[in-house]
Amino acid sequence: MNTSPNYLDAFPQAVTELNQTTTSSTAGKRILLVDDEMHILRAAEFKLKRSGYEIECVEDGQQAWEAIQEQMPDLLITDFHMPRLDGLGLCRLVREDEATRQLPIIMLTAKGFEMTSDDNLESLEIAAILAKPFSPRGLVNCVEAVLTTGSFEQPPISYLR
Amino acid sequence: MSKKSHIATELIAAIACALLFAAATVTCLVTGDLGIGGMVACGAAALATICCFALWRTAQVNEDRAICQFQLLASASLEQLEHDDLQAACPQARELRKWKSPLEQCYRRMKLLADDARQLQQSRVRSEVKAHLTGLRHEQMREIVDKLSEPVMMTNQYDEIIFANEVARELFGILDLAEKTMAADAIASEGIVQLLQETRLRKTPTQRVSEIELLDSADDKHWYRITVSTIAQHLDNEMGADEPNYGAVAVLRDISGYKAIQRRNAEFVSAVSHEMKTPLAGIKAYVELLADGEAEDEQTRDEFLQVINSQADRLQRLIDNLLNLARIEAGVVNVNKKPRSLNELLEEAFRIVHPTAEQKNITLISDLSPMYLGVLVDRDMIMQAAINLLSNALKYTPDNGKVTLRSRLQDREVVFEVEDTGVGLSPEDCDRVFEKFYRVKKDQKMASGTGLGLPLAKHIVEDVHGGELNVTSESGVGSTFRIRLPTVQVAETVN
Repeated sequence: MNTSPNYLDAFPQAVTELNQTTTSSTAGKRILLVDDEMHILRAAEFKLKRSGYEIECVEDGQQAWEAIQEQMPDLLITDFHMPRLDGLGLCRLVREDEATRQLPIIMLTAKGFEMTSDDNLESLEIAAILAKPFSPRGLVNCVEAVLTTGSFEQPPISYLR
Repeated sequence: MSKKSHIATELIAAIACALLFAAATVTCLVTGDLGIGGMVACGAAALATICCFALWRTAQVNEDRAICQFQLLASASLEQLEHDDLQAACPQARELRKWKSPLEQCYRRMKLLADDARQLQQSRVRSEVKAHLTGLRHEQMREIVDKLSEPVMMTNQYDEIIFANEVARELFGILDLAEKTMAADAIASEGIVQLLQETRLRKTPTQRVSEIELLDSADDKHWYRITVSTIAQHLDNEMGADEPNYGAVAVLRDISGYKAIQRRNAEFVSAVSHEMKTPLAGIKAYVELLADGEAEDEQTRDEFLQVINSQADRLQRLIDNLLNLARIEAGVVNVNKKPRSLNELLEEAFRIVHPTAEQKNITLISDLSPMYLGVLVDRDMIMQAAINLLSNALKYTPDNGKVTLRSRLQDREVVFEVEDTGVGLSPEDCDRVFEKFYRVKKDQKMASGTGLGLPLAKHIVEDVHGGELNVTSESGVGSTFRIRLPTVQVAETVN
């Protein structure tokens, strides 16, 4: 998507380093990354690109839905709280559309115990929910697991940590 | 009886003497010889008769006096019996030697009886007073329980409601508490009926507590904490046995307010933790990238460190804001009021929020009065209030909307307002947006927030500066938040 800004522009040196990426069986897959916080986008993009993935970044659910329509990614990683269209609304759109129904989704959220049952996450078949603050290493492991097996075993979001 | 026989003897003696005298007289008349012997006999007989009569008469008089004394005794009042002695009660008792002893006996006996009567009377009076006071107290207690704001009701061993105070009757829609009102018929909530019954059936002094949601008479939902205790009812026991029957007393407390505070606290903690986790997520992620050696050259490392630094600053700002609010609210912050130009402060606030407006493509208009608007304010606090209003307007105005900041002099007040073309507020929300932690439910997903910005602004304007902050709004059209502050002259006069 040509309108989407490349957040690594802010890190010119980092871009050159990306050429020396590690490779894995899932390398080269396209991942759509959605978060309204730029620094989160940058960190995730940097780590995933170094792991060999092709990354597209957008800032809210609406932009993400437009990007998905334009080109279907292999995986969607989305934040929960976002302006315009939030993560939950985006997931609903993805699951309701026949063309995008099978798209695996990882949710990256600062929401914790307040994730309530009325969010009705189960019906959205989210492959993994990662709690912020997150580990970029853990994110890569999660992405690999979801892309190879379709799911990721993770410790439940703890009530108290 | 002896008294009677005395009188009879004296009377018989008198009659005998009279007969003797009559016989002597007849003998004299028959013989025609009225000798000395005859005269003596006649005289003696007559004397004896007179003596006998006199004695009889005396006895009779004494008897009448004794009767009179007995009557006096009989008619003596309790007070006389208490204070008088025998002499006072029966003045002639001493003179009636033969009657003195029985009168004394009678008097003592009556005195004892009078004492008993007096004690009985005293205890009766005490009982009556006690009964009256108990009745009054009972009425008072009933009145108090009836007027309690907490619903209270009581069931007996047959699960009939035997008491329900005013609010309980209102809550359960009991118009009239009839003789046999079954709890199950009168109370719509099965949970309460069951709780009453189960508690009663335990037949031991016990208490159970539960939380239950009920609809009030206006069909609004309320949370109640219900405490049910067993109550022993000795009086209602038809068997007359000592074993008590058990009823149940339920006291309900409306805890909706408490629940709402609890919910808002949880929402507040959730909002704050979300706000904190976001910068923390950046810090942790970049630290890990650095630790893993992902940034292989100096320049990348510097870039990452800058992000960590800026996110740490952001976290600190958030914590400072939270602490500031707590401090201002607790009244431990120093207020530094000085005469200032309101327009200058507003221009600064305008510059601070401008980038946010640009990001959302919102037209931010500054329509400030050309006049110098002098106010006596704490610069930081009023800036904080203005920024809160402006950033709220930007948060809840959709992209491509318009936010206007105005100021003017009106009467002897300085007014500034923030008008937006945002989502607007319902009349209910207009009343509540200044409550701490309150967030408009439907707009919560538009932006993150702590529900503290507006309460803080109101506190700063009204409590610290003696001004006024209010809102007019139309749902779907937009809102205008208006702050009025006294001019510097007015403020200085007041101070």
